[in-house]
Amino acid sequence: MSNKYDVIVIGAGNGGLAAAATMAKNGYKTLVLERHNLPGGCATSFVRGRFEFEVALHEMCDVGSAEKPRPVRKMFDNVGAKVDWQFEHNCFRVIHEGDDPYDVVVRGGWDGFLDSIEAAVPGSRDSVEKLLELGKMTQDAMTYMDSVTVPVQFLGKYADFVKAGCYSVEDVMNYLKVPLKAQHIINTYWSYLGVPTDEMNAMHFLSMVYSYIVDGAAMPRKCSHQLSLSLCQTIYQNGGDIWYNSEVTDLLFDHGKVCGVKVGDKELYADDVFANTIPNNVYNMMQGKEEIPPRMLKLANAREIGLSLMTAYLGLDCTAEELGIKDYTTFVTNESDPRLQEERSASGGFYIVNCINVVVPDSTPEGTCSLFISMPLFDRDFPKDLTPDKYKKYKSDYVRRYIEHFQKVMGIDIMSHIEEISIASPVTFARYLNTPKGSIYGYRTSGWDNVMLRSVCEPMDFKIKGLHFVGGHHVMGDGFSSSYLTGANAANALIKQYKKEGK
Amino acid sequence: MAKILKGLKLARITKLMSARNKRIADAPATPVPPLDSYIQNRLKDQLHPKVQHLVVADIIAHSADVKTFVLAPDASQGTTFVAYPAAGQYISIRQTIGSAVVCRPYSLSSSPKEALSGHYTLTIKRVEGGLMSQFALDTWTVGTKVDASAPLGVFTYEPLRDARTVIGLAGGSGITPFYSLAKAIADGDEDFNLTLLYGSRTKADILFLEDFERIQRQTAGKFRLVNVLSHEEAEGCEHGFLTAELIQKYAPKDEPYSVFLCGPQAMYNFVDKELEKLNLRRKYIRHELFGEYRNPEKNPDYPQEMVGQTFKLHVKMRDQEYDIKVDANESLLNAMEHSGLVVPSDCRSGTCGWCRSRLVAGQVYVPKSVDGRRQADLEFGYVHPCSTFALSDVYLDVPMA
Repeated sequence: MSNKYDVIVIGAGNGGLAAAATMAKNGYKTLVLERHNLPGGCATSFVRGRFEFEVALHEMCDVGSAEKPRPVRKMFDNVGAKVDWQFEHNCFRVIHEGDDPYDVVVRGGWDGFLDSIEAAVPGSRDSVEKLLELGKMTQDAMTYMDSVTVPVQFLGKYADFVKAGCYSVEDVMNYLKVPLKAQHIINTYWSYLGVPTDEMNAMHFLSMVYSYIVDGAAMPRKCSHQLSLSLCQTIYQNGGDIWYNSEVTDLLFDHGKVCGVKVGDKELYADDVFANTIPNNVYNMMQGKEEIPPRMLKLANAREIGLSLMTAYLGLDCTAEELGIKDYTTFVTNESDPRLQEERSASGGFYIVNCINVVVPDSTPEGTCSLFISMPLFDRDFPKDLTPDKYKKYKSDYVRRYIEHFQKVMGIDIMSHIEEISIASPVTFARYLNTPKGSIYGYRTSGWDNVMLRSVCEPMDFKIKGLHFVGGHHVMGDGFSSSYLTGANAANALIKQYKKEGK
Repeated sequence: MAKILKGLKLARITKLMSARNKRIADAPATPVPPLDSYIQNRLKDQLHPKVQHLVVADIIAHSADVKTFVLAPDASQGTTFVAYPAAGQYISIRQTIGSAVVCRPYSLSSSPKEALSGHYTLTIKRVEGGLMSQFALDTWTVGTKVDASAPLGVFTYEPLRDARTVIGLAGGSGITPFYSLAKAIADGDEDFNLTLLYGSRTKADILFLEDFERIQRQTAGKFRLVNVLSHEEAEGCEHGFLTAELIQKYAPKDEPYSVFLCGPQAMYNFVDKELEKLNLRRKYIRHELFGEYRNPEKNPDYPQEMVGQTFKLHVKMRDQEYDIKVDANESLLNAMEHSGLVVPSDCRSGTCGWCRSRLVAGQVYVPKSVDGRRQADLEFGYVHPCSTFALSDVYLDVPMA
């Protein structure tokens, strides 16, 4: 039967593509269904004039080098997907403009990082080094978990790893007596996970930060669209297929187990279905048809929807050198405390400016550069009375404030160099990602719903037979690396089960 | 390994687990809120509907060869409003013409404000050999159903990018987006100075003349119309073509200005050379879409031995496959449409990417000037069929429309 597959994947986002590529590579007949006309979800790019803009990717952790590959690179290698990885080995520059201002460039590498923080906060070195040791243990513990079937030594050898999972970043930093200013500088990274560090789980945070420091921040040469297409190629080469503009509208059940999906009038069948779409959307699809286990609905209702962004993509007719921009990532803030940065983000309290030309100089034509400005925009700050006729001006005015602020902070002229500009808002993300409120981070990894607890509770949280959730909304939290790994992990678990069943 | 967190308690995990379980237990097991309960998702639906089912509500004939069609939402097919556009945007319309299913992009001649009052207008001029324009002018009547895309395109004014003053260069039916922009200035929905150099053959060919003159009076100098006639001399009009001298004559002397161009290919060819003389920065020159690419064989990098050849085009859409023919000088998109396949297309100029398809096998030619693909698309073999020409038999994997 031609409409019968081993697995169907709903959504060609990062988690979906990783799951599909892993299944196809292992010989299972795989079909990916994507509602949009492009793969990748967040992992894509767009062209305006002579510029190609990265849509979402700032940087990826857990990639590692060819010699010392880390899980994400291994995943791409394992499925035979080729990526031209580029690295930024410095962490970031942070310009804090409020009380007790600072302007610090944080270098990468174990020593580079310690030197940078020590220079900014004399006397912090020993405590920050302990933090790095803890980061290293986090990485080692995860490597160990991946390498064994039963982690017998876990609590003995890696007790600190589990402990880090039980406390917030700031709990751990206070325990290690990291000076407050050093905490503030390091914790600038909170925004990549969307939850301030007084609430953010320390294990989650440290595993990301440590990888950025030691492995470097990775990105593909040709925008994240290259990541998506390399996985698509693997899927095709292994007999799989991807249908675009093909929105799944319903799930099909057989004796309480998912056995397929509906795309318009078409019914397609599979032994298992991966959902790279947020559970809310799946439950809405299923409504009134099949019973959803109450715990799943309760969990979805208990959770908070993660943050969204206003983003501006600027193509400038001058170079980064001409502007004096030397750092790939610049954080600008007028609060030093992450909680206040979060609470006051809408009043310019926090934003990020990336210049890809620092890492990939020829990513834009000669004599030009591009800037990617990310401005966290929480649902509470999105105007509830915004109407379509006010939307264009709202976006333009919003972004103008930030560009003008960044010009002032840096003492440079950007505005007169803007050759191309495009602005994405939560509405744009709602359009392309189809997430509630245009969230880019899935569910907020709140203190009570952190990634460690999510991972431990996964078997009891998700109990629809034959349905496997993958993506940034799932157990590993948001981010490119996490979402790829949820896809690969879910696929590998299923393959293991299939092999046991002799399939 | 040294215990770094010796004083912190592992037992905390049980407390955290029960706190999480309690939080979940306390939440209601009711259906989750639907997407349209959120303002962000509702705005998305209002601004970017997947399709707009419209119906011709009125027709204004400007001449035998130019008509304005008023398009209203077709509630009988579930469309209850027209999506709000930015002034200068276009919609892509789809029609079945004989055995072909054809799309064409048309700039809205209506203003954003008119969309709020429930309609768009398209002003369509007969194009020699133009399938859609002939079809619309000759067959559309009040009640004709027309499916359209959401408003699209970036031929719009952006205060963060464009100069305060825009010199608009319009040729023939390229006037329509400027009509929309001028009305938006009069309505207060856009705030910039627009000096429109409008090229027509004779005074009789000028569209919307009275409206433009009215807007000029209303906007207190913000909008100015300069008619440029190529085939006759008339009082109050410039005579000749859209030259560098003419642009300089009307452009601000002591501040930067942007130039927006919309017109036929022949006008771009001429005006682009004129603009070179002015040495403007690239950011100050913006073209509307180039439209259907014709005669690829005129390019020096085109392999001349292909002229006149016909190839097989194998098309896969989901689990359906089709075998059709494609002439070397017609785009892959045209070949598919003329075979009756319903395929995605919006801008038809190589830039929007809506027709993006996977080139499974075959050699193709993509003219450089309309190659709007992403770098990785080139690496992994994807094409925009609207601006792609076959150089051999081709196998294409095309998304559903």
